Parts: sequence; structure tokens; C-alpha cells
Amino acid sequence: MNTQVPATALCVSDLVVHFPLSDGKVVHAVDGISFEVPVGTAFGLVGESGSGKTTAALACARLVEATSGTVQLGDIDITQATGNALREARRDIQVVFQDPFSSLNPRERAGSIVRRPLDLMRIGTPAERERRVDDLFATVGLRPEQKTLFPHQFSGGQRQRIGIARALATNPRLIVCDEPVSALDVAIQAQILNLLARLKRELGLSYLFISHDLAVVQHLCERIAVMYLGQIVEIGSRQEIFRKPMHPYTMALISAVPSTDMDTADTRIRVKGDPPSPISLPPGCRFAGRCPYAVPRCSESLPELVTRDGSHSVACFRADEPELQIKR
Amino acid sequence: MTQNLLSVQDLEISFRTAAGEVQVVRDLSFELAQGEVLGIVGESGCGKSITALSLLGLVPNPPGRVSKGRILLEGEDIVTASERRLRQIRGNDISMVFQEPMTSLNPVYSVGEQIAETARAHFNSSRSEAWERAIEMLQLVGIPSPERRAHEFPHQLSGGMRQRVMIAIALVCEPKVLIADEPTTALDVTVQAQIFDLFRDLQHKIGAAIILITHDIGVVAQMTDRVIVMYAGRKIEEGPVSAFITDPRHPYTRGLVNCIPRLSLDPSDDPEPLFEIPGVVPSPSDLSLPRCAFAPRCRNAFALCLEKSPPLLPVAEGRAAACWLETEKPG
Repeated sequence: MNTQVPATALCVSDLVVHFPLSDGKVVHAVDGISFEVPVGTAFGLVGESGSGKTTAALACARLVEATSGTVQLGDIDITQATGNALREARRDIQVVFQDPFSSLNPRERAGSIVRRPLDLMRIGTPAERERRVDDLFATVGLRPEQKTLFPHQFSGGQRQRIGIARALATNPRLIVCDEPVSALDVAIQAQILNLLARLKRELGLSYLFISHDLAVVQHLCERIAVMYLGQIVEIGSRQEIFRKPMHPYTMALISAVPSTDMDTADTRIRVKGDPPSPISLPPGCRFAGRCPYAVPRCSESLPELVTRDGSHSVACFRADEPELQIKR
Repeated sequence: MTQNLLSVQDLEISFRTAAGEVQVVRDLSFELAQGEVLGIVGESGCGKSITALSLLGLVPNPPGRVSKGRILLEGEDIVTASERRLRQIRGNDISMVFQEPMTSLNPVYSVGEQIAETARAHFNSSRSEAWERAIEMLQLVGIPSPERRAHEFPHQLSGGMRQRVMIAIALVCEPKVLIADEPTTALDVTVQAQIFDLFRDLQHKIGAAIILITHDIGVVAQMTDRVIVMYAGRKIEEGPVSAFITDPRHPYTRGLVNCIPRLSLDPSDDPEPLFEIPGVVPSPSDLSLPRCAFAPRCRNAFALCLEKSPPLLPVAEGRAAACWLETEKPG
């Protein structure tokens, strides 16, 4: 796909999602994140469980309500859209879920699952919809005859293909992929990742790709943001993030991935303990309590996301100091 | 060469189904030496978890049973051991860390009680001694303020802490063999790294042999000494971990090692598509044909592969593979 200007498929600014608890406390799931997804590219949100990456993604598809901030999809702010405008907007943003076992209705045939978005959006005549379903089955590597089968008659990988076909049905601009391969076997993961990469290339799709697996995100995404406790701590291109990670948390994440290269064992950065609770957040940098490089200043005030070079931004007071420069 | 602690010989595990009895593990033999870390690798449904359960005499019966073979722990056969004897062996000689720390702990007992219970069952120690021991174990697995944490319930702990508690329970009797079935799949990578550091540390302190069941090739590379690859209930390749990573012999092993995206510190702009193993694992009831079980998914399959199942044969010092390509040339 060749576009003249690098148009933006999705523009998220200052997105906040808070969940109030019954005792008056608040879960700060997403706390002011901003990013853009250019058309035809994949944007990866990585982080550990509880970092808010899934909540952020769901808020982008308006599957949870944003507390504040905007999610601009084309010329519509999806956080404010209502009625028909919201329905129209959802044509352009679809979701592939993590678990292909629970995200398909077990009592509905595969063909009808894939046709459902077309029925709901009243796209085309019934005959056109059927033809479109056949095409979609072929696109994701299933046989049209398999339309009449039920989800339990498919393997995990095939079920995820059905989920992808359903997401493609309305010709969306952007697909939110929430850990689309983490429930699959390793050998099947490769099949699905290759399928997603091919669809991106052939259909000019954009992805907002959520994963905890850095290798998967690196493989598929041009730009990557690292989230920690509701905030983006580092954002940059694939090369910027992996060649020169600047936030200690990103460095720790990268070095915690077990490598198949058996000599690298002990140049690692280790973090201690578990992340604090998103209900009672520490006052300073949220990573300070686990950070091997923390100084007193880190627990006093919150570092802002600052652009260092190119499109690479990091939220760390010490990112420029020599102690944090990784040696290769 | 150290003496073999555990020796599995010609193990076959069968399950009764509506379609008759099917074998989920066949012809499986392996040895485990003292202090060794053995990895068992394969996709789901290849028989790795049921093999682990059989080592503890925990194959659910009915419908399952060990239908052939022996499992010798220092010469004693676990397959024929009495339930009473098995209760002594479990925990004391062989213990297990399960995959899912959320469901493997009892939600209505404090974690201290759950560790102490194991100590009391095996050592006849008094309540207070066992409680002391529980606190010691919590300390050993790196839980901060163990005296306080021992009184807490599983839901009050994070995933990483719960898995540490599971490990504490598994290690309280200082077993000779520790089986870990996907011990970190439910955990985040930074916590996973902490748990594996802990495993290494404890292995030095206690000297237990570890059987690590996983599908993560990176974990295998970092943690194990030797690897067994299973496919459709059989061992199809075995060898030292370095050979497994750098020179896999069986086409399935090669696929497994190459299909994962590898984290690069200098990624390219346009990554190559990943290597794919086409198709899916066959179900045990589809294995009635005498052919190689992997042949339908194998790019290199030739006539012989569809006629006869290849035997496991030595391919190099300390290595074996079950593939006709290693012994017969396609004609």
C-alpha cells in the first residue's frame, strides 16, 4: 500500500481509564497515555500483567469507557461517539481476542460467526455477505466448506483464524490484537504471526498489538511502547527500543527474556519484587521501588516522557547518565 | 558418570475412550542422573504432562493407566508400588511444581499451613516445628517478611509469590527429584527470571535433579543440561541442550527451534516470515497407522516415512533421533 502522506490510523491522546472501587479508592489502570498508529503499520504495546495494556486497547475500541482523553479514529473521537456514529466508527476498528476458545460462540457455526459483523452493520445483500464470508475464509487460510462447522471442531490455531476473519469482515482500518498468539502452541504461533504479517502487507491494515512477549512484538511491530503501571515509560521505533533501550524497566524486560543464545547468561539486569498495586500508587516514578538505578529523587517526583532523539522518548530522570548506558 | 537416580523403561500410558483404548505415551525410556536438569519439550498433547504425572503415580485411573514399562527410582519400581508407599515417595523423594499457582493452592488455608502440612505428613514433626520449617522455606524461596506472609492466604499474594509458595511446598522435604510442569507460563518475564534464578540457586543448595517440562525453547536453553523432544507420545529426539539448539536432527525439532521469533538486539526493518510447521498435532486415536506420526506435517517425508515408524537410533555421542532421514536416504 502506497499512501502519499503517512496518514494516521489511530491517534490516542492523554487517555485515562480509572475504575472506581466501592470503598472510594480508584484503580489507575491507564494513566494518561498518548501514541499514534500510522496507516499500514503495527504499533506494539508491551508490558507485564497489570500494566494496563489490555485496558488501553479495549478503551481504543470503546469496549471500556475512557475516564478522559481522546481516541481519534479518522475524524471521529471514539470515546465521545454515540448511536450511529459509534456503529460506523466500529466498522473501522475491530478486535482479535486472546483466547480463541472463549471468544467464539460455541453454538454458532463458523460461517455465521464471520458473517455476524456484516449482518449487524447491514453491509451488502445476503448473497454478497455469503460470498464475502467465502473470501474471508480463503484469506485466513481456511476452506469455505468449513463454514458449517462449529468452533469445537477446529483446532486452536484454526479458531484464531476464525477470529481474525471475523475482525476482517467489515474491512476495518485498524485491528486491535490483544495477545492473539499467547494461548496458542509455539508451532501454531508462527502460523498466526505470519498470517497477521501477510494481511498487514496485502490489505494495508494497521494493528494495535498488545503482548507481553517482546520477541513477538519485535517481529511484527514497527513502533513499540513499553507500559508500566498505566503509563508509557518508553516509546520508539523497533530499532530504537531494542538497539538502545533507555528506561531501566525496558532493559530489564529485554534481559529477562530467556535467550536461546547460551552464552549471554549473566549480563542481565535483574529487578526485585513485584509491581506495586495500581490502587495505591507511589508518589514518584512508579518503577522506582524495583529499579536497580533508583536515586532518592526518583521516589519524590514522577519523570515525564521526554523525547531524547528521533522518535524515541523515555520517562526516566537518569536516562542520560553514563551508568545507564548499556554496554554491548 | 553419576549414578542414575531415575530410570524410565519402555513406558506406555493408555487411556480408555469411547473408541477403545488409546496409547498417549509409547516406548518412552529415559534416565535422570543426580543433580541433572532434564528438559522435556513438545506441543500440547504430546504426552509430556501425563509422563510427569506417571512419575508420581498420579495417572488418573480409570480411565488412564500405565499399561507397560517400569519407572525405577533408585531401583524401586513406582508403577507397582502400593498407594501407601507412593504417599511416602511423593513429596519426600519426588515432588512437583504445577503450572498454575492460582488453582494449585488451597484458597482457605494460609500458605504457612499448606507448607507445614507437607512437613508434618512426612517428618511427624509437631505443629510448632512444622510452622518453623514453613517460615524457613518461605525465607529460602525469597519471600520478604516470611513470619507475616506465612499467615496470609493465597489470594493475598501475587502470582510470583504464589509460585514461590508452590516451590516451597515442593522442596520442604528436600526431594531427590523435582518435576516442574511449565512452572512459569502464568508469570511475567521479570518474575520468571527471578523464579529461574531461584531454581538454580536451590539446585546448588539442595542438589535435587530437576525435570523441567516446557514449550519455551529459550527456557530450555537457559536452564537444562539435556533435552528430550516428544511428539505424539513418543520420544523423537534426545541429546545435550547445546546440540538441541544448534544442530537439531529431527525435522520436528528443527521446526520447533526455528518457528519462534527470536529477540534481536539489532532488529532489521523487515523481518523474514517465521518458519512454519504446517498442520496440527495428531490426536492419539489417529495414530493407528504404522507410519511416522510426524510424516503428514514433514517437508522431507518420503515413501518409507509413510510405511514404517522410524526407531530411535543413536546419531552422535549421547544423541538419538527417530527419523528415517538419519539412517535411510530417500530412494
